[in-house]
Amino acid sequence: MNLFRVLEISGSALLAERIRAEVTAANLANVETTKTENGGPYQRMNVVFGARPVGFHSFNGMMLASLADLHAEDVRVVGLAPDTTPPIRRYEPGHPDADKDGYVSYPAINPAEEMVNLMGAARAYEMNASAVASTKNMIQAAITILS
Amino acid sequence: MSWLQTPNLIMLQRFLDVDAMRQTLVTTNVANVDTPGYHTRDVDFRGEMMRAMNGQADDGTSPFVMPVRGLLARPDGNNVNLERESMLLAEVQLQFKTATSILHTEFLQIHTAIHEGQ
Repeated sequence: MNLFRVLEISGSALLAERIRAEVTAANLANVETTKTENGGPYQRMNVVFGARPVGFHSFNGMMLASLADLHAEDVRVVGLAPDTTPPIRRYEPGHPDADKDGYVSYPAINPAEEMVNLMGAARAYEMNASAVASTKNMIQAAITILS
Repeated sequence: MSWLQTPNLIMLQRFLDVDAMRQTLVTTNVANVDTPGYHTRDVDFRGEMMRAMNGQADDGTSPFVMPVRGLLARPDGNNVNLERESMLLAEVQLQFKTATSILHTEFLQIHTAIHEGQ
């Protein structure tokens, strides 16, 4: 595998971590959302990551691949899983979304947990960005053989 | 063996190859830092360089890839250790740079020989 494909692996992780940060931000923004298009309170979303072997573009490429290439896997967001924790019920009889007993359902979101998730995504993003820098350095070093 | 295939050049070529493979796997490990159930993997760098030094690197086989032992797994089964991986990122990169500058010097020597030392 050439080093440019290695850049793509880091790129896939940058994308996945960005999606994770986006979903976490959406969770944080909707911490008090009681009404959605589907009715009911906002449902907290979890991002599910999965490793996926890096595809080979041709049969020839597959045959020439080394063991390391076959073990190279990039990361994908395989799905968004809604959190199944039941909503938090608060007694607010004057609220327009209150049920007949006067309770309002709020999404079960813990802002502290979301912040930790956001920090994790940001750190993982930084780490992958430095992996890109390192691979770029290697490519540049390889070019200097020519000069 | 052609005149250009000196043991030094063959060795350096293999070194760069294995180093690039190692970079692939380190990058894969870093990319999958949040993938549940993912296990850290690495090439058998030392073993492969031993084989290269014994002149066995030319048989077209690829280095062994093995799961790294002794790392603490998180509850989701992932055992990527970011400290290990960032150290390796720096290490692999510097090794690669070292090998390329040695290779550059080797070619400069040939160049000098062609131009009769002028």
